[in-house]
Amino acid sequence: MRRNRSPFGALSHLALIVWALLIILPLLWTFLAAFKNNTEIFGDALQLPGEIRWDNWVRAWEKAQVGRYMVNTVIVVFFGTLGTMLFGSMAAYVLARYKFIGSKLIYLLFVSGMAFPVFLAITPLFFVVKQVGLHDSLFGLIVVYIAYSMPFTVFFLAAFFRTLPEAIAEAAKIDGASHTRTFFQVMLPMAKPGLVSITIFNVLGQWNQYLLPLALITDRDKYVITQGIADISTIAGYEADWPALFAAMNLAILPVLIVYIIFQRQIQSGLGAGAVK
Amino acid sequence: MERLRKYGFVIGFLIVPVTLYVVFVISPYIQAFQLSLTSWNGYQAVPNFVGLENFTRLFKDEVFWNALRTHGIVLLVMPLVVLALALVFSFLLNLGGGSRGAGMRGVTGSTFYKVVFFAPQVLAVAIVGVLWKAIYRPDEAGVINGVVMKLGGEPIGWMSDPDLALWSLIAVMCWQAVGFYVVLFSAGMSAIPKDYFEAAALDGAGRFTLFFRITLPLLRDTLQVGWVYLGIAAFDCFALVNVLTLDAGGPDGVTTVLPVEIFKTAFTYSKVGYASAMGVALFFLTITFAVLTLRVTRREKIEL
Amino acid sequence: MSHPGEITRRDLLRRIGLTAVVVGPGAGLLSACATGGGTAASPSASAPAPATSAAFDPKNPFAVDAKKGLEVVIFTGGFKDDYATGLHQPMYTKAHAGATIKHTGTQNVGTMLRPRFLSGEVPDVVNNSGPEAMDVAALAAEGHVAELTALWDAPSFDDPSKKVRDTVTPAALEEGKLNGKDMTLNYVVSQRALWYNAKLFQEKGWTLPTTMEEFKALGDKAKAEGIHLFAYPGQKGPYYMLWNMLYTAAKIGGNKAIIDIDNLVDNAWKSDAMKASVTAWHEIFTKYSDKSYLGLDHTQTQVKHLQNKFLFYPTGSWLEGEMAKDKPETFEYAIAPFPSVTTADAMPYGAIQVGSGEVFFATAKGQNPQGALEYLRIMLSKEGAKGFVEKTGSLTIVNGSADGVELPPGLASAAKATDAAGPNVITSARFEGWYKELFDYAWAQQNILMGGRMTVEEYLDKVQKKADDVKADSSIAKQTRDA
Repeated sequence: MRRNRSPFGALSHLALIVWALLIILPLLWTFLAAFKNNTEIFGDALQLPGEIRWDNWVRAWEKAQVGRYMVNTVIVVFFGTLGTMLFGSMAAYVLARYKFIGSKLIYLLFVSGMAFPVFLAITPLFFVVKQVGLHDSLFGLIVVYIAYSMPFTVFFLAAFFRTLPEAIAEAAKIDGASHTRTFFQVMLPMAKPGLVSITIFNVLGQWNQYLLPLALITDRDKYVITQGIADISTIAGYEADWPALFAAMNLAILPVLIVYIIFQRQIQSGLGAGAVK
Repeated sequence: MERLRKYGFVIGFLIVPVTLYVVFVISPYIQAFQLSLTSWNGYQAVPNFVGLENFTRLFKDEVFWNALRTHGIVLLVMPLVVLALALVFSFLLNLGGGSRGAGMRGVTGSTFYKVVFFAPQVLAVAIVGVLWKAIYRPDEAGVINGVVMKLGGEPIGWMSDPDLALWSLIAVMCWQAVGFYVVLFSAGMSAIPKDYFEAAALDGAGRFTLFFRITLPLLRDTLQVGWVYLGIAAFDCFALVNVLTLDAGGPDGVTTVLPVEIFKTAFTYSKVGYASAMGVALFFLTITFAVLTLRVTRREKIEL
Repeated sequence: MSHPGEITRRDLLRRIGLTAVVVGPGAGLLSACATGGGTAASPSASAPAPATSAAFDPKNPFAVDAKKGLEVVIFTGGFKDDYATGLHQPMYTKAHAGATIKHTGTQNVGTMLRPRFLSGEVPDVVNNSGPEAMDVAALAAEGHVAELTALWDAPSFDDPSKKVRDTVTPAALEEGKLNGKDMTLNYVVSQRALWYNAKLFQEKGWTLPTTMEEFKALGDKAKAEGIHLFAYPGQKGPYYMLWNMLYTAAKIGGNKAIIDIDNLVDNAWKSDAMKASVTAWHEIFTKYSDKSYLGLDHTQTQVKHLQNKFLFYPTGSWLEGEMAKDKPETFEYAIAPFPSVTTADAMPYGAIQVGSGEVFFATAKGQNPQGALEYLRIMLSKEGAKGFVEKTGSLTIVNGSADGVELPPGLASAAKATDAAGPNVITSARFEGWYKELFDYAWAQQNILMGGRMTVEEYLDKVQKKADDVKADSSIAKQTRDA
């Protein structure tokens, strides 16, 4: 293989390597910090841990119950995203491709939700959730996640459905397919690139959600991972147990990073395909 | 009959999402709007109606204007830097390898770079905050200052120097976001037909000409979408500011953004009514931004 | 004057057992029971109850129904919550056989409980602490907070012939009042002062500076060894510095300097005492410290203190317990009173700030208000208080709660200093809880001042203006104090 030796090529590599290091080094530092003790964490940043201290990880695992929170999070994000995609695509499809009284209003209602700061609704939301009996339940959290993921999902998918050619839907109709069948068997498969990228958006968004679970889940056994991290971060502050904080962070980072690396090809092509349309 | 079937279908498809949305999103927000007209402290059984008093006070509140200024700077700088860096990187990744034989190609290892660049995107914002806090520490235990001091320099107050803090914050936002747009633009670039480049290269066009004459114009749509996403993100940097900055918004309030101020006013100072008024203001600001951006850079089929 | 505050305080402190440390002749810290009074009656003794009425049982003064559940919410901060789950709660279920307790430990007291108070489904006992502590005055205005007068007047858990109010330091009773009513139980006693490493001073042959001049001279000596004289954390605990300045002002101008600020008296922030105090500390920080501390939080700063990077650190006596895990053998916490600023200070060198904190309250509209009062009464028992001291390393307001507990050196030095201070006790600044907005503003601006971007005059002007705004804001409920 012939190596490219032009100065431009070298410069490109340099720029790319610098940025890659800017990402890798902090993550690596965080990983190493999880083996340090307080004195090392608070001393020279560039030193390596004096010894491999797995007990930091043990304390983090026990105190932060990272395993349980991870399972809760996976359950909530899985069903939350599934529901978001199902209901979001249904709403977006109807709003994008059917003209009826109020369609514009409903669309605006959905889209305007993107602009409102969530925590202002937190107190009223708490009562709503309580009234329907979904407080302190993962199912309740899933339902709320779905509702709060609607604005962006509908906004994105409606734009996507509008770009799909009219002719195919017409053809399906002539073949006698019902509206519902046309949607599920013709339009949805055509919208796959858009669906994939908005799915990724929603997974990331729901994975990161902090405020909603904070208000809606008080039972420690039902905490999600962000709550767990915040929890241990505060505990670290009070007990000065920074090594455990870094270990807990790694416990939260590593699985995600591994899953991401396994699926990186799908994620990247999915995102690209949806957005480029 | 067909009309009936159509309406039945429309209603059937909308009933669940709209109900969920109205119950869990709209109704709490309506209540929040109502609260903005009261002096509710978060504990009273019956809020006190005060009319528009909160809003008149808001316009005289220097903290509010200060927060708006911060939003303005973030809104201008962050998307610009992110998009510029992402464009450059994706150009290098996809076309930076120079021409060999007939086509343009990316640099070697471009998959590796793409995987690494995107990685910060999968980290929870809270984690990014804690991580950067360690990097920005103002003494030798900070990752950057550790290097600076090894080289004999004075430690830098990344988050504690009021002239620097906002830029340090924006840098973290960029750090996290760039990879996403690199992936987005890379996909866009790979969608540009190769013969465009071949033709241009035959005409003797250099790399820079290729970038500005071909790549950029063809990516216009993608760029616009990116701008809107980033703009909305700029209005809501609550989690990052909360975790990373000095006492959530400091020093001297230079990193104070509206969501943080709303949170403090409502929950620390028990002025939920006043905080709701700030929320309503933020709502109209974000809406205005989104509408303006979409109108100005309107995509063919997106309507608002 | 019906409030000879300082004398009362001193007596109280004496009674908590703090003075015992000096009295006890070498034989174990705090071994002597300062209250005297012989041995307390065993709580389980089945002495016939001198019932005043058929229904009244001094063993169960609130007529607790053991069948009713009790819900307790504890803030899991520096004290964690095993003093509740491992001590107070078992004591409760033992005293009331069959009782069940629902315990919640949380760091998000406000987020978790605010909506519950609105919906009316409230817990019974709340430990209202931490960054999300709720506005008790606002809760009380809605009738959510039970008055504690019945608790203070109830027979004590250990000795039915004594009222609970006589087993605790009266200063805590005073500080637990809102608008003149007994509303909160401030459980923990603490001293706020400067802290230093006694072993380092010993090793270097340094003595504690008693005046600002000596303080600065020591600063020069330390500087020569690459040690800063003083530091405070710019993040998370910047108000330690504000306390520092307020309490030094009280030393210069007497407690009136702080009481006036609490009462929002016009120009209280611009008093001569405040001016002198802020000027002095501004000079100390800008000349003998380092700006990098403005970017560190309290734990980070405290770890640097343990590494002897600086000499003096301002905070409360909980510091030692907070850092116990990280403290090397070569470090021994000791308390240092604030150096005298002028030669005409109202209080002598050696004056110490002592106050009560860690707020608990019983809810008025809960399922089990009797149980709530009983739970607090158990906390105030000898066993409950002593166990708390053992588990947390902090003293409680219960007299003699540290008896027989071997106190760590820092706490012992604080007790000694408090005794030496005698009547010269600096009062707690209470606007911190009353007008949080003003308090937060004062420390936020203080960071600007210490960062060198504002003059002392500008600082005091700005904070005074904020105090005026708070005074003028009718939506903020006002409180006053006379001592």
